[in-house]
Amino acid sequence: MENLSAKYGKTLNLDKLTSYCPGCGHGIVTRLVAEAIENLGIMERTIAIVGIGCGGFSHHYMDIDAIEATHGRAPSFAVGYKLTRPDNIVFTYAGDGDTSAIGLGDLLHAANKGMPITTIMVNNTVFGMTGGQMSPTSLEGQVTATTVKGRDVSKQGYPLLVPELMRAMPGVKYLARETVATPKGVRKTKKSIQKAFDCQVKGLGYAFVELIVPCPTGLKLNVKGSYERCGKEMTDYFKPQVFKDETEQGHVA
Amino acid sequence: MTQETLFLKNTETFAESLARCGVKYHFAYPITPATDVMKRMAVILPQYGGEMMQMESELAVSSALAGAACTGTLVATSSSGPGLTLMHEAIGFMCAAELPCLMFDSMRVGPGDGDIIGAQSDYFVATRGGAHGDYHVIVLAPASGQEIADIMPHGVRLAYKYRTPVLFVVDGLSAQTTESTTLPAYNDYSAEFDTSDWAYTGTQDHPKRALITGSYSHQDGYEMNEMLRAKYEKIYDNEQMWEAEQVEDADLVIAAFGIHGRMCTDMVAKMRAEGKKVGFIRPITLWPFPDRAFAALPDSVKNILVVEMNHGQMIDDVRLAVNGRIPVHFLGKTGGDMPMCTLAEMIAEANRILGE
Repeated sequence: MENLSAKYGKTLNLDKLTSYCPGCGHGIVTRLVAEAIENLGIMERTIAIVGIGCGGFSHHYMDIDAIEATHGRAPSFAVGYKLTRPDNIVFTYAGDGDTSAIGLGDLLHAANKGMPITTIMVNNTVFGMTGGQMSPTSLEGQVTATTVKGRDVSKQGYPLLVPELMRAMPGVKYLARETVATPKGVRKTKKSIQKAFDCQVKGLGYAFVELIVPCPTGLKLNVKGSYERCGKEMTDYFKPQVFKDETEQGHVA
Repeated sequence: MTQETLFLKNTETFAESLARCGVKYHFAYPITPATDVMKRMAVILPQYGGEMMQMESELAVSSALAGAACTGTLVATSSSGPGLTLMHEAIGFMCAAELPCLMFDSMRVGPGDGDIIGAQSDYFVATRGGAHGDYHVIVLAPASGQEIADIMPHGVRLAYKYRTPVLFVVDGLSAQTTESTTLPAYNDYSAEFDTSDWAYTGTQDHPKRALITGSYSHQDGYEMNEMLRAKYEKIYDNEQMWEAEQVEDADLVIAAFGIHGRMCTDMVAKMRAEGKKVGFIRPITLWPFPDRAFAALPDSVKNILVVEMNHGQMIDDVRLAVNGRIPVHFLGKTGGDMPMCTLAEMIAEANRILGE
């Protein structure tokens, strides 16, 4: 059998079978996070602080120290961690429920503090692990277990555009939304995740990447259908773009 | 910093004691009557190479506290009842994750937002826990500024020996009292403990560590809870602390903690001068509750009077400790301009019981 470690490096743990569902976008994102850590040579000083939900499994597939925070609080955990261990690289990894519902306050304040922390938000527009309930990012009209006639924006508001909320924050130095719906999107995702970690390595400030990904199980679609939805309706609303890139400023003393 | 005697508000004494015992990072959110702790920490911690970080809520405070504690660093927070309520999510997490930290609760009146007037209303939430699951934090109830300073090294050692949060509870009146306190010279007591076998600091010197407080199998969850149960039993057996005076021949024993416990010295002296056989027990650990002090009471004790600045919370633990052997009475006040029971009220109630 081919030695995959030689190809993917030591960060990605290839010994474990993942618990991600077939077709889930987490698999791609987790691999790209591991590759970014590997490429930057920061594996031994990197800590994952993961949320609750499917994103909480991500650290199982990386050979780095990890902390599973309480629901939504990963950014605050990261602030405390970074304060005491400024030389370590700390990133949070969680889904849209963890990050934009219960944890939105923690997230925005951590971003606004501008501490060198990296946040990976995996947005599949649904609470996946708990069985397909509405998320703040569920699309207008989206049928979920708790919006059985579709999300009604007059009651449940509009799908939350999280990076747009951070755009005005001076402490946020890298801010992007990418998608894994297409091979081209995956290549851009890889670049953005790498930059989000590099931003921290350089000590510049807060870095945030939202990834638009499919969730076949939570959305009750087959894999092909979920990728098509991801590449059309989801990215029509959540437009992939680099909002801010201030990572080329060099090292801060 | 060398030993020195200062005239300080006890909230400031708490801050000084934390810093002099090695606390480097303090996370807090302003709340009366605890705010002076964070204000002083903001001034003094940079002198020790540390920092006070003001967070946006107590939820964020306790989460940042957990994130910092998992590196093995000695960290602390300070708050009051409504803030402590919000902190419980991460307090439960830190108990499950076995993370050491020091916490200060300047108790005020509740429920709800209550009032800023000092009280002892947080006994239940401190000793029973405000988060879900089977857990305890060690609860220390110093009765003076000097006792805050004296007991702080022990608090740090307990936090690290058992890898658990340690909560100091002081009623808001005592917290705001200004008095002379002799503060110790600087010593980082957490340095006595090696954290290298558990701290989450990156894999440069250890294989991957994962802090997982949720279980991925029922067996994992069972084993985590049994491990915690064994630890709490050990703490309960070994760490009870109390002060007792003149209980050996007493007819009546007063049980009170914090400010009322401090008043018991005068109360017993006055009543003994009148020939009345009165003694007192002042619990210093509220969890573990010092039930050994009550189990050891002589047969001469016919009644116990519990005095609290609440509607009766510690009285439950006193009743459990004596298990029906001795009648237990209660005197308590909370709310209003001055919720504290006066010495005269305490003596009057003691005399009423003695006269029954």
